[in-house]
Amino acid sequence: MNKTIEPAALFERVRHFVREWTNTARGPGVRPAPDEAAFNQLALELFALQYEHSQVLRRLSDARGLTPARVRHWRQIPALPARAFKDFEITILPPGERTLAFHSSGTTGQQPSRHFHSPETLRLYETSLLAWFQEQMLDAGRASDNGPAPAQGLRLLSLVPPAAAATHSSLAHMVETVRRAFPWRAADCCGSVDAGGAWTLDTERAFATLEACQREGQPVALLGTAFGFVHLLDALAQDRRFSLAPGSRVMETGGYKGRSRSLPKAELHAWISNRLGLPPGRVVTEYGMCELSSQAYDALAQPGAAGQNAPRWLRFPPWARIQAISPETGAEAAEGEPGLLRIFDLANAGSSVGLQTEDLVRRHGDGFELLGRALRAEPRGCSLMAA
Amino acid sequence: MELPNYFIADLPPEAPVTPLLVREACETLRRNRQAYLAARSTPRLIRVLAGLAEDWLNPASPHRRLALERGPQATGFSANTLARGLDAFFRQLSPENLRALLVQDLGHAQRLDEIVPTPVELEGGRAAIARGPELLVQIAAGNVPNPTLMSMVLGLLTHSAQFIKCARGASLLPRLFAHSLYEVEPKLAACLEIAEWAGGDTALETPLFEAADCVTATGSDETLASILQRLPARVRFLGYGHRLSFAYITRELLAGSSASRVLSDTADALCAWNQLGCLSPHVVYVETGGALMPEEFAAALAGELANREQEDPRGPVPAEIAAGIAARRDFYEVRAAYSAETRLWASKGSTAWTVVYEADPLFAVSCLHRFVFVKAAPDLAAALRAADAVRGKVSTVGLASAEDRAASLALELARWGAGRVCPIGRMQEPPLAWRHDGRPALADLIAWTDWEQSV
Repeated sequence: MNKTIEPAALFERVRHFVREWTNTARGPGVRPAPDEAAFNQLALELFALQYEHSQVLRRLSDARGLTPARVRHWRQIPALPARAFKDFEITILPPGERTLAFHSSGTTGQQPSRHFHSPETLRLYETSLLAWFQEQMLDAGRASDNGPAPAQGLRLLSLVPPAAAATHSSLAHMVETVRRAFPWRAADCCGSVDAGGAWTLDTERAFATLEACQREGQPVALLGTAFGFVHLLDALAQDRRFSLAPGSRVMETGGYKGRSRSLPKAELHAWISNRLGLPPGRVVTEYGMCELSSQAYDALAQPGAAGQNAPRWLRFPPWARIQAISPETGAEAAEGEPGLLRIFDLANAGSSVGLQTEDLVRRHGDGFELLGRALRAEPRGCSLMAA
Repeated sequence: MELPNYFIADLPPEAPVTPLLVREACETLRRNRQAYLAARSTPRLIRVLAGLAEDWLNPASPHRRLALERGPQATGFSANTLARGLDAFFRQLSPENLRALLVQDLGHAQRLDEIVPTPVELEGGRAAIARGPELLVQIAAGNVPNPTLMSMVLGLLTHSAQFIKCARGASLLPRLFAHSLYEVEPKLAACLEIAEWAGGDTALETPLFEAADCVTATGSDETLASILQRLPARVRFLGYGHRLSFAYITRELLAGSSASRVLSDTADALCAWNQLGCLSPHVVYVETGGALMPEEFAAALAGELANREQEDPRGPVPAEIAAGIAARRDFYEVRAAYSAETRLWASKGSTAWTVVYEADPLFAVSCLHRFVFVKAAPDLAAALRAADAVRGKVSTVGLASAEDRAASLALELARWGAGRVCPIGRMQEPPLAWRHDGRPALADLIAWTDWEQSV
């Protein structure tokens, strides 16, 4: 591990890992078990690279006595807290190579998290997001392996502003990447950014698109944030209900961040399902954050599939691993016990493989259910938030 | 001992609280007040209250025993923490203190019974009587029981019938206090009602607010705003919003025996009610230039908290609280690894206690449950500048200072807007007569009748 690691070559090997897995499809939703040894090797090499180039990660690793020379398994890799992305520049990229930065959408006046990308790390990010989006939002929902690739029959409708308008949003970039990568029948975007920087929605346009799809029996893939869906459905007249064509699907992501009233997730999904006329299993949660380069989804049900009431866990792709860490003891929580979600994401090649979130989850195998965020315990009405 | 069903909160969970039940309870309360409480003399009320306090301070008292037995499960506080907190409260509830409170807030100990003058009023040919609200509705917060008990005492003093609305799962101690009153004075206890439901239930709160003459509420700014919005215009409202507190230690006290005393007092302040409520310090400002540097003080405080954990464990916390603590620790661990200006001490294998030292004096809001920031400050002015974001929100400043500086520091804190300055070890033990968040808690409940005599 002493030899200097060539970043571009390592990133390419991670991309190869992602693509190799993607190319070994054995039918819808049937994939080989990921190669554990190869994952471990790549995670350790990425950690060594990041240790070398990221001062913050190096100092934390040194303080914990967990240097690349001592770490033998991805579970030992120090996980940087997501909040550190607000306080520090967590990146191995020199300033000149940072062509893009994704920012977290937080409270105004607060320093956002920043995740820097170069063309190489961005390429890996896009490879990762496309592979798992395809698996979770397109292939998983196919009734059979026959027939055309699902995107060809789908109309994409995004409630997220275009990437050109929301340059620091990883979600907008993701939607843009998805829009370009797949042969959608058509693609529309109803989101925009207003003069104050807030995300807005042309609800009339969204309704007109949904109306047309319904009339033509055209299935839709509708992508948006939780608050975007609240805005959309709030604008829908009381007695108006869509009945979207079979094959339609919804991807809902993220919290509310004070941009709309907030609803419990189950309530929001039931509402979406009811007003848009979709079976509940066709409303999918996506879990992502700007500090990560892979996303988790709870599975899209196949049309007409039974067992729609079975619990749906969120799952990251095989190039990421999760742990739930007992907040009380700091040790890994038993399966099904509440713990803070820790993610090891090979696609986070330019920043930190290990990421400690503030999300409380229950792990079930390689999936998890989201319980909520760690309590901040800030006195309400007090503008000061702890750093 | 099983508690009999005297109050709504005593009913089994399967018996739901209904708007009708609330309306009827309010009518009964008013009638009972008229019959049993309105004409009761203040000295007799004081005797009853002081008698209750004596009972609660007695280890053999069944209500106290029940509180310590069931309290840990119901409140999350250990029996030790509960015993200490309840003792601090009931020790204050003496006849002398109650009379002193009346004199302080109302000018005269008989103000609630008859038209009497203060000496100054006498000179002007005036006298006055204070009247409490007939039906006082108190919306209690969830965390620490003492403020609710204090509200109940104030309501009794003002001869008011009271409806105490507790947060979900937070009615045990108010109930036990009310039962202890029932045992000695059932007629007075019949002027009390206690119920619990999740706040904001408009079906239950609308009839309650319609019946009230005065509503007090403790809670977040949003909670208070929502209550105020729903009150009929004739109802008086007293809102106690969230406050926070900090401590300030001057350099003279950072040597020898006074340093050990301050350390122990600071640990007391952090362990009392596990730092919950508005009166515990989030931040301890330590002046630079003393024998003990702020960073050394932080290290010593960590040692003190580790000892306390042995003698008086904090006890378990819900996962989302532990998660908040763990997330903060993770963050400060990174800062500490990066810079010598931050250091972190934390209990191993648990979230029992955490000390974060930062050279940067910028005020930080703690997640409490024995999690404290120690920050360096060259002087009080610098600390106050750094705490500007919480100005107007500070309840108590625990002050450990050399005697000759104390008065000027207290004045500086007063001008800045702190509501109370006290020794650090007593932050969570305000005297009975303290002005709650800078307001006279008893006097605020009162309406006056002035009598100007013809000369």
